[in-house]
Amino acid sequence: MGKKTCWAIIIATIVINVVMLQWTVEAFLGRDYEILLTYNVISLVSAGIALFAYLQWRKVEYKKQ
Amino acid sequence: MTCKKKLGRNQKDTNADMINLVDNVNRDDDLKYNRRAFLKTAVGTSVALGVATIPFSVKAMLGVEKDYERVEIAKLTDLPEGDSVVFNYPTEKDPAILVHTVNGDLKAYNSACTHLMCPVFYEKEQDVLLCPCHAGYFDVNSGHPTAGPPQRELPLIEIEVDNGIVYAVGRQYRHG
Ligand code: FES
Repeated sequence: MGKKTCWAIIIATIVINVVMLQWTVEAFLGRDYEILLTYNVISLVSAGIALFAYLQWRKVEYKKQ
Repeated sequence: MTCKKKLGRNQKDTNADMINLVDNVNRDDDLKYNRRAFLKTAVGTSVALGVATIPFSVKAMLGVEKDYERVEIAKLTDLPEGDSVVFNYPTEKDPAILVHTVNGDLKAYNSACTHLMCPVFYEKEQDVLLCPCHAGYFDVNSGHPTAGPPQRELPLIEIEVDNGIVYAVGRQYRHG
């Protein structure tokens, strides 16, 4: 996976997580607890992906020439 | 150095490589705010946002709806048609409104608007619940939003009339 891809993935996860946080709050206030859990899981998975993409990027970025 | 336009290496404003590096007064910033740092911050942001959803789930799992008490709201004689009275139910922190509609029905809802929590009031000319903050309208018979920003219905307070006194006995958060 190239550096550009990692950048794209990380930015995408931020977008996803912002939306998920907003929806989670909304679901919480509306007491839609099942749907809240779904958003929660999506959000955490996306955070995990961001972390993974970061590690990947770090490997490429700091590789010794 | 035959080219006249090109300045000597150590002259002011020369474009030669590796000269005047100390002129970069922002070099500390360049070390701190660069592409790598930006990406790391972005990752941190993404993870923080993800983690920020956890407390909501935890709270949702802990918050079990308890039993409701029976609480007196008002005497029917004090509440003619087209009038409304405010009370708090189920706790002191939950404002609610009991409406005697112009059609003679008794309806009660939590009065915090489901948009941004302004208190709604009964508009008897139009027979609606109206939120003044951003013109949110709710159907007084169902509590569901009909116009404006609110997306969710107002929580319904279950009521009972006993000997001319109206009691609150329960609440349905999502209904209909
Ligand atoms: S708070 Fe009621 S419409 Fe915005």
